[in-house]
Parts: sequence; structure tokens; C-alpha cells
Amino acid sequence: MALEQLSDVVQRCQALPDDSYSSEDHDVFTIAGRSCIEEGHAPQVLSIVLDEKNQNVVGSMGWSLLPPLVQVLLRKDDKHLPQCLAIFNHLLEACRPKELLIGLLELLEHDDADRIAESLHLLLTPLQKVLLRLGGRKASSLGMTLSSVLDQLAKLPVPDTKEQEEDDVFSLGRCCADLARFVGPFAQEARLNQSSGNQPRKSHKTAGGQEEGAEDELRTELLKFCMKTLSQPLLDVQIWHPDTLPVSPLRTFAAEILDILGAVGESLSGLVFHPLLKKKEVPGFLEEEVRYPKNSLACLAHLVFVHHLAADTFPSVFSPIFCLRSNMEHISILLSRTETSRLQKGLELYEKSLVRVEDGSLPADLLEIRTFLTVPQSLVKVMTICPKHDLRTKGLKVFQLSIDKFNTEAKYRFFQYMLRTSNHSGVEGYIIKNIKNQIDAALQPGNGNIWFEGLHLLPLLRKVFSLPDGPETDLLQYLDRVMESLNLLRYLVIRDKVTENQTGIWTELYKIEDAFLKPLRVGVNMSRAHYERELQDTREKKKKNAKEESVLSVSVGGEKLPKMTSESQIQALHSALHTFDMIESVLVRIEELVEVKDSLETAGEPQLLRT
Amino acid sequence: MAEPAREWSDEQLKSDDLPKKDIIKFLQDNAAHSFLNEHKLLGNIKNVAKTAKKEQLVIAYNQLFVSKRFKGTDPVEDVTEQVKAVKVEKPKEVKAEVVDEGPPKYTKAVLKKGDKTNFPKKGDTVSCWYTGSLEDGTVFDTNIPAGAKKKKQTKPLSFKVGLGKVIRGWDEALLTMSKGETARLEIEPEWAYGKKGVPDSKIPPNAKLIFEVELVSVD
Repeated sequence: MALEQLSDVVQRCQALPDDSYSSEDHDVFTIAGRSCIEEGHAPQVLSIVLDEKNQNVVGSMGWSLLPPLVQVLLRKDDKHLPQCLAIFNHLLEACRPKELLIGLLELLEHDDADRIAESLHLLLTPLQKVLLRLGGRKASSLGMTLSSVLDQLAKLPVPDTKEQEEDDVFSLGRCCADLARFVGPFAQEARLNQSSGNQPRKSHKTAGGQEEGAEDELRTELLKFCMKTLSQPLLDVQIWHPDTLPVSPLRTFAAEILDILGAVGESLSGLVFHPLLKKKEVPGFLEEEVRYPKNSLACLAHLVFVHHLAADTFPSVFSPIFCLRSNMEHISILLSRTETSRLQKGLELYEKSLVRVEDGSLPADLLEIRTFLTVPQSLVKVMTICPKHDLRTKGLKVFQLSIDKFNTEAKYRFFQYMLRTSNHSGVEGYIIKNIKNQIDAALQPGNGNIWFEGLHLLPLLRKVFSLPDGPETDLLQYLDRVMESLNLLRYLVIRDKVTENQTGIWTELYKIEDAFLKPLRVGVNMSRAHYERELQDTREKKKKNAKEESVLSVSVGGEKLPKMTSESQIQALHSALHTFDMIESVLVRIEELVEVKDSLETAGEPQLLRT
Repeated sequence: MAEPAREWSDEQLKSDDLPKKDIIKFLQDNAAHSFLNEHKLLGNIKNVAKTAKKEQLVIAYNQLFVSKRFKGTDPVEDVTEQVKAVKVEKPKEVKAEVVDEGPPKYTKAVLKKGDKTNFPKKGDTVSCWYTGSLEDGTVFDTNIPAGAKKKKQTKPLSFKVGLGKVIRGWDEALLTMSKGETARLEIEPEWAYGKKGVPDSKIPPNAKLIFEVELVSVD
């Protein structure tokens, strides 16, 4: 039935000129043609399609046969596969490119990963063929195609481990390889355009309204494509080192993208240093943001500096400090998110940039650059609240590395800044430990400086030896900070001789006594009394075995969590009391040391004025 | 200086009560440098006491008053004393963070002269073709493409000079070059990549770098 209908409409249209086919003719052709293929009449359809007399009809309406044809081709085990393939290939040549394009792109859209991967694998080459038929007018169609393809690619799951990348269960690797092959001829064309003397227009675009030549348009579409891939999937993918994974489709794909960037005339160094180079508002500013999206550039910087992709084309003349300054922008972007892949990349890029710089060489004026303050803040978040242990550890390592690279004044200012803004006892404690190390270094013969001894040290110490809430400070919450402060004080009192007073601690001691040590002692006593009371109460309750009515309960996943047993409570209270003992023991030790020095002083040295 | 008085008589000198050290000290305090030198009385008192016999010291003591070669009688004496008294005071606090302007840590050999009029200033944008190699000849970087035809599709490296964006050797050298000049630069590691080198690249630590640079344009 369908076959007859098809033959009829084709015959009828033979006599008509192409532009006068009615929409009814179209519909009949479409429905009948599709049914024929679905019902297994492909051989007959093939002969109709190949018939010389039918070329106009086929050229005009043939593209509507694509859906069932592609279905068959995807099935692979159909007995009429060869015929369908033949029809398909003929249509690619005979029909109008733009219509073919729309038809093919529609067939790419799926929801499940398998079908997406299979469709891409099948259809990218036909799409390429069709686009090449467009000649000089292909640019915008290419753009549309690339956009659709990337939308589908984005739906494929990304491998987490190198085993997953090797297995490529969801075919992301294969699709990327297919995609690179697809883009090849277009990139090559762009490359040749450049060499034919047509210098690419600089990215400082002149005022809008100027029409782009076809070559410019091609270049723009390819650039847009590269930027998009850098953001998705490359930003979220882990690239493995050749030693770990010798054959990596994703790494190969990344390298190919960098190559295409070169083909369209973009210099990698220009892109990577882009944030520092474009400080002025140029006309068409918004377009710049779109042309060079920040996420994509960050991903690119990571590929270049951490994985050394395209290393031979990246100039080795830039100063390490300049590279660091530029990369801070990218690092800031990467660390501002919470996805593991982004944080990992941010930390790696930061580490690689720091390692190239000499210890103690970064000057204090760098801290006037916004990113040099926002990045440590982000690092603190990673170190303290990131759920992944590896990232927390690495974050701390990179944090210390960054401190080591600052010069003395910069370290001083950085410590000031972190004490003021980090709001986390552990971080503050860590900073205070660093301060101690710097003081120790400054006290080595020949290493004196005005920052960690003498003039500037005392203001910093005043910030260190303070309790946020006076005697009422929650000592358990601030334990890290309090212990490190006490450790520092003990160190100073031991290390700095009363007679030398290089750090100024001896003249400052009475103030520290008032502002820090006294309230701390009071706080310890108060807390100890409180917790001892709690302990007693809990013991008594336990003896009485009374059922406590708790005020709150906590449920997770619908299940109520068991109350803390009396045993655990008692343990926790003991632990708290032990903490107070620890604090007190250091306090006592410090007092002892101060007294000894005092008595030494009264023994023969000029007395220091003490109020 | 007035002549010092004789503190000890001969008997006192020869007496065992008078330690050698005292005599030596007196002599060192009052005798001219050349006198002490001749009598081998220079240096640490303890050491001199070990090597000098009491008789020698007595002789020297008497000799001093006979010859009157006291301090200040040597023509060079004063200056020598002053020089000895000079103390070098190092300012205690500030460790110089600013790199001191020592001699330039690079050399330049002009291979092709430039126009000698267009010299870049700090902040100008310069464009260069370059090839970088290590002392052993390994080429680690170049932006000059292989074929002549390809040169049309690559661009020379452009950047703002004198602002610390590139290694110091480049910043300093380019400011001395004029448009069109080609030069061979040999840059010491201190003005290149220093002790660290560039990890994961062909540039090792403490590497002296050799660049052939052509300054194409200055804006």
C-alpha cells in the first residue's frame, strides 16, 4: 500500500517543476516513504530514489526519509541495512544541505547516554559531508551543529577514575574522538585561511556593526566551540598523566582542542594571560566575556601549566611571578566552587605556580591584588569544611607553600589579615604557629628584620594574645588558637633573654598578663568548675538510673538517633576537663619561667620597670 | 704623646714576681708598631708570652726607652692605628628586600643592527622572533616556525616590556635594542629562572639561557 502511494506521488511530481510541489505531496511522500522503509521495502525505495527521472523530487523531499533510515542504521542487524545505507548516502549528495542538516541534527537528540553515543558515532561523518557541501557559507551552520553536538555530549556521564576512562562505558572518550575527527577539516581550513595572508583580526573588536567575513565567521565559530568544550566536559574531567594512563582519549581530545585554538590564530599565552591583559573596557565588552568565558580560560590554564599540553608552543620567557599573578585569577574561579574536580584543579594550578617561585621572594604589594586575598579565603574553606580528606590535606599543604613564598613583610601582613578574617580557631592556631617560626628565624644571628622582632612584632603579638570573649570565651571551641598562643608565649619567654629583649616581650609582658593570661586563668577555672559540676550531675543521674526526658531528639533518614549514653557523656566531660588541665599546665609553666627570669634579673641586672 | 714613664726597675723586671704578660702589655700599649714587629711582640698576649723569653722582654723594654720608638713615632703609625680602630657597623634591622643593582647578569652581542632610533621604553609593546637554547645547545623554545611559508600564519611574540612580565634578562636587554635589531643574549640564571629552573621542562635549575632575539616592532 505504502509502496504504491510512494510510486504514485513520485510519478505525479515528475512532471511538475520543483517549486510547485504542494504540501500535500510532501506529506504523502513523507508518510508513504517512511512506512515503506519501516515495513521492509527498502530495496524498492532505493530504486525509486536512484531513478534519474525522480531526482528533483528526491532532492526536494528526500530528507524527510532520514528518521526511519537512521533507525535502521542504528539497529545494525536489519537485513536491508545495505540498501538503507545506499539510500542514505544518496540523499546526502542529492538533497539540499540546509534541510539535511536540520534533519540530521534532530536525530541527534536523545535522553539516554547509549543512544546519544550511538547517534553521534553514526551521524558525525554524514554531518561533516553535508557541511562541506555548503562551501563558503558553512560557518553559521557549523556553529549550529557544534552547539547541538555539545549539548548532547554534555548529557554523557564523565568518568571518575582512570579505570572508568579506560572502560569508557558511556562512550564519552569515543565521542570526543569522533568529534575531533569531525572538526578536523574545518580547523584545517581556518589554518589555511591564516596562512593565505589574511591576518586574523585582533580580539580587540572594533565597534559593532562591522560584518564579519566568512573566514572570520568560521574562526569565531571554532573559537566558540573550543571555549565551550573547555568548560564542558573538559573542566569536569580528570586528565591523567601519560605515565598513569598512556592512552587517554580525553587527554588527546584536550590536546586537539588546544591545537584548534592555534589554528584559529589564538595564542595560548594570550589566552592564559587574558585576565591580566584586558584591563581596559573595550567596545563590545560584553562580547569579550562571551568570547573568552572565565571558566574556559581557567580550564585552559590548568591544561597548560599542570598537564603541560602544547608545551612546545607556549613561550618559555614569562617570569614566574607574572605567571602566578595571572593564574591567581583562574585559581580564584576554580576554588570558588565546591565540585571536587574544580577544587582539585584549582589546588594543582596553585601549587604548580607557586613551586616555580623562589622562597621568600613574593613582595607585600601583591597583597593589594584582590585575588591574593580571596584565594586564601577559599583555601580556608577547603581546609576546614571540604568533605574530602585528600583535598583538605592538599589544601593545607598548598596554604603553607604559599606562605613560604612570601617575603618577610608580606608574611607579616598576610598573618595579620588571616588572624583578622579567617574566623576559625584551627586556622588561627596554624597561623600563630607560623608566626612563631618566623620569630625563631628572625632571632637567628644575621637574620634580624623589623617585622618579626622589634618594631612591628608587638602589634602582631597583641592580636595573638587575646581572647575573643574575655574570660567567657569558650575554651573548647578556641582550643587550637589558645594552645598555639600559649606555646608561642612560652617559646618567647624561653628564647628571648631578658637582658636582650629582642622581641620586646619582656616589656610587653605585664600587658599580656592583664589582657590575656589573667582572663584565661579565670576562664579555665570557670569552665573547669562548670564541667566538674556537670560530671557530678551526670554520675548521679547514672546512679539513679533515671530516665531522662530529653528536650530534643535528632532523626536522620526517618530514624531517631540514639541518645548519648551516660558513659559517652562522662567520657566527653572528662575529655573537656583534661583539656583545661592542659591549658593550665602551660600557663603555670609560663609563670614559672617568668619568675625565674625575674629572679635572675633582680640578682644583678638592671631592673625592668614593672607596674 | 708624652713619653711614658719607666714603671719597673731592672731588679723588678728580672724578678719572678713580674709576670711576662705585664711587660708584654706595657710594650704593646706603648711601643711603636714597627718596634713590636721587629721584636716579635705583636698579637695575642698569651701567645707572645708563650714564645718570648723573659730575658728578651727585658731587653726589649730597655731598648724601647733607649730608642724612644714609642707609639706615634712611626710615620705610618697614626693611620695604622686609626685603621685598626675602624669598626664596621652593619645597620641591624632591615634586611634588604630590594634586589641590589649589581652588574647586569646578561651579555648582548649584536648580530644585526637595528635602526638605532626606535628604542622601546618601559610599558611599550614589543614584538619578537626568538630562539632559546641552553649552554649545551638544546633548543628549549622558539616561535620561529620551520618553513618560511608558515611564518605568515604565526605571529611574533608580543608583550609589554619592562614590567616584569618576562624574565629579567629579557626586560633589561630589550630596552637596549632598537627596532630591527637582532641580538644574541646570554642570560645568567639569576636573571632567568634561577635556582628552580622550570620544573617539567627542558630548563634545569641554575641554567644559563641563550636567546637569539629579533626585535620586530615597537609600539
